[in-house]
Amino acid sequence: MAQLSVPTVDYTQYSNRQLVAVPLALLAVALLVIGGWYLLTGAPANLGLEFVGGSEIRIDDPGGNAAQQIETAFSAQPDSVRQIAADDTYILTCAEGAVDTPDGGNQLSVLEQQAEAAGFSIQASSSVSPSFGANTQTIALGGVLVAFLGMSVLVFVMFRSIAPSVAVIASAFSDVVLPLAMMNLLGINLSLGTVAALLMLIGYSVDSDILLNNSILRESGDFYESTSRAMRTGVTMTLTSIAAMAVMTVAAYLFGIQIMTAIGIVLVVGLLADLMNTYLLNVSLLRWYVNRGVNA
Amino acid sequence: MIEKLRSNWRLTLLTVILLVSLFMIFSPTMAPQTNVGGENATTGDRLTNLQYGLDLAGGTRIRAPLIGMTAENVAIGNESTTNVAAAVANELPNSDTTDVTVRRGTINGPTVEAVDPNVSESQFGEALGGAGYSYETIRDGLTQETRDEAINVIEGKVNQAGLSGASVQQVTDGTGFFILIEVPGQDRSDVIDLIEQRGNVRIDIYHQNNAGEYVTERAVLTQDDFASISNARQPDDRSPNPRVPVSIRQENGIAETFQSSVVETGVAQPGGAICRYEESPQNTDSCLQLVVDGDVINSFGMNGDLANSMRTGDWARSPSFVLTTTSFEEAQEIAINLRAGALPAPLAIDQGTTSFVSPTQGENFRTDSLIIGILAILTVSGVVFARYREPQVAAPMVLTAFSEVLILLGFAAYLGYPLDLSVIASFIAVLGTGVDDLVIIADGVMAEGDVSSNRVFSSRFKKAFWVIGVAAATTIIAMSPLAVLSLGDLRGFAIFTILGVLVGVFVTRPAYGDILRNLLTKR
Repeated sequence: MAQLSVPTVDYTQYSNRQLVAVPLALLAVALLVIGGWYLLTGAPANLGLEFVGGSEIRIDDPGGNAAQQIETAFSAQPDSVRQIAADDTYILTCAEGAVDTPDGGNQLSVLEQQAEAAGFSIQASSSVSPSFGANTQTIALGGVLVAFLGMSVLVFVMFRSIAPSVAVIASAFSDVVLPLAMMNLLGINLSLGTVAALLMLIGYSVDSDILLNNSILRESGDFYESTSRAMRTGVTMTLTSIAAMAVMTVAAYLFGIQIMTAIGIVLVVGLLADLMNTYLLNVSLLRWYVNRGVNA
Repeated sequence: MIEKLRSNWRLTLLTVILLVSLFMIFSPTMAPQTNVGGENATTGDRLTNLQYGLDLAGGTRIRAPLIGMTAENVAIGNESTTNVAAAVANELPNSDTTDVTVRRGTINGPTVEAVDPNVSESQFGEALGGAGYSYETIRDGLTQETRDEAINVIEGKVNQAGLSGASVQQVTDGTGFFILIEVPGQDRSDVIDLIEQRGNVRIDIYHQNNAGEYVTERAVLTQDDFASISNARQPDDRSPNPRVPVSIRQENGIAETFQSSVVETGVAQPGGAICRYEESPQNTDSCLQLVVDGDVINSFGMNGDLANSMRTGDWARSPSFVLTTTSFEEAQEIAINLRAGALPAPLAIDQGTTSFVSPTQGENFRTDSLIIGILAILTVSGVVFARYREPQVAAPMVLTAFSEVLILLGFAAYLGYPLDLSVIASFIAVLGTGVDDLVIIADGVMAEGDVSSNRVFSSRFKKAFWVIGVAAATTIIAMSPLAVLSLGDLRGFAIFTILGVLVGVFVTRPAYGDILRNLLTKR
């Protein structure tokens, strides 16, 4: 079996400014992407069906020329059609209002009737009304804010000094923002699953930061010794999680289980961001904090 | 032996909890008393006591708000609630008394609720004023009493339709209330058909007045006037139509009042009445009309025998009666609506969410998520073995993390909590955080050479545990908004992630410490 060894970084070669440059630059780019998205689309990310409303229907592979059969079966062109190879189904999504509904009927009901009339068997379906979606947006945003504030307060209470706490919080902030920007660039929609994953990231990412702070501030040994000790443990941890989540993401994508794919991909990107933020951003902030008496 | 168990009490505790969990999951004696799925249960399997949610078992979930607004602290004095409702309904355009509910003794004093979606807040305010009632405020939404009544009615409808294992409850997203209806194994359209109508059933009489014009006398019989409702019948030799036999209440002269209306309006004319409302509404005998939610479902006359017994007054002594319909499905719907009662407010399915998973898709998801879970465990094991290369350290690590998942499954079985995809995702997340923390313990304890004595071990273990405790607290704080708010399907994810972190911190991770101590201090 291949041996996994955590590389040791010689931090003495780099100045704090150099170390901080990369994560801060990426954070700035991410914020620009998200801000630009907000200006262009009115939302910080591509909002999925759960937030804007719409219908989704999963039908059995009709066999033959599926794309053409799907096109003729439905009165509206679906926004997206995705084939799930693992169980021979297709997932179709339609924005709310895409399908003409006679006398104010339910859009998904119309789609279901059209699917059945064309001989598809319906494996799953779901609909979200725009008003419900808008509500969900507010709640999700509120949830993320409350979670982030709660985490910040807890970190302050635990460390009782500003610089280390700020280091942890800044790195957690970047861990959440980077995957969000990445999702925009990759064209992944923000769904309830991704919100859960962003919240989970707050918990996950703080692990390695706290480990690092604890090792440097509360344990014996000089700065570089403590850092490399914390890094050995922290990188192992994060890599284990990344591996588990990457496997979940790929498998769930193949099986067409969207909630798990969404949770998985955000965690993978977020944990990668966490590796960078913890061992570049957080480390340099701590080095500055520990040495501030010396250099001043 | 006992000494050994005591000194390893954390490990002993883990073993006991694991055994209890396995018992919860597998023992037939712990099987749910009333199988949630009922006769054709698809919600559980026979091997384990685990319950599956709609994602994994198949079925329909509908989340929808009730439409209406409430005027609070209305000055209705000692007037009867029926009179107030009638007076307010009278002031509202196109509203019936069934669209207005008056209640005393709610937490906001006497309330009046209007549930016609076409009535605006200002119209409602004007109507209250017009009827002479002052009020404090009008707000969107209904009273808790009305929501409870709606839940009872929907439960009744679902049970009357023979859909077993369904659940109906109220959920909130912090801004308003929603009714959440879950029916295992049923198609979405069937469930919507069953619940989307309010199901107000009434009988009108269509007849000529003294001037010879055709008029409708509304609501000669309403929902509450029926004493008993038989099952819907298919057409047979006795009657060519599908029908619902019913009997009318005799108290308070209800049957007699109906009898005299029928006689006066000419439905019970000598020899009976033949209704031709459908073909020629301006040239027909008087008709009885079956009206559901304001729509005329069927119009029918009366045969000679029944007309005669009404004319002599004999009928009111044993007032049984038949509602005829045009299709058997309609007859079934009428019977369900009459028995379960009418929804006190319309359910706005278009302002909520619906989801449906077919039983075969549910089964696929079950297998798929099992495969994903196993893959995740294998991956984690692979990474941990590659990192530590010492099976004595790595194997207990993987087993401990896996036991966290087993304990969570035990919890789910004990609580009867239905597993769905988001819960499975939380198991994988817990597996991830679990292994993370075990890595912290292992590295913390094994750092800086050998662990010679118990004392060195405990001090290092305590240090490592500080980090784990803070990390766990953070995860719990981050997840708690999701666990409290009803953000759709994510509640299960949050609840089980929090449970997993708690089990990890208090049970499994300390036990892993015991295992490590035994391994390391022995050397």
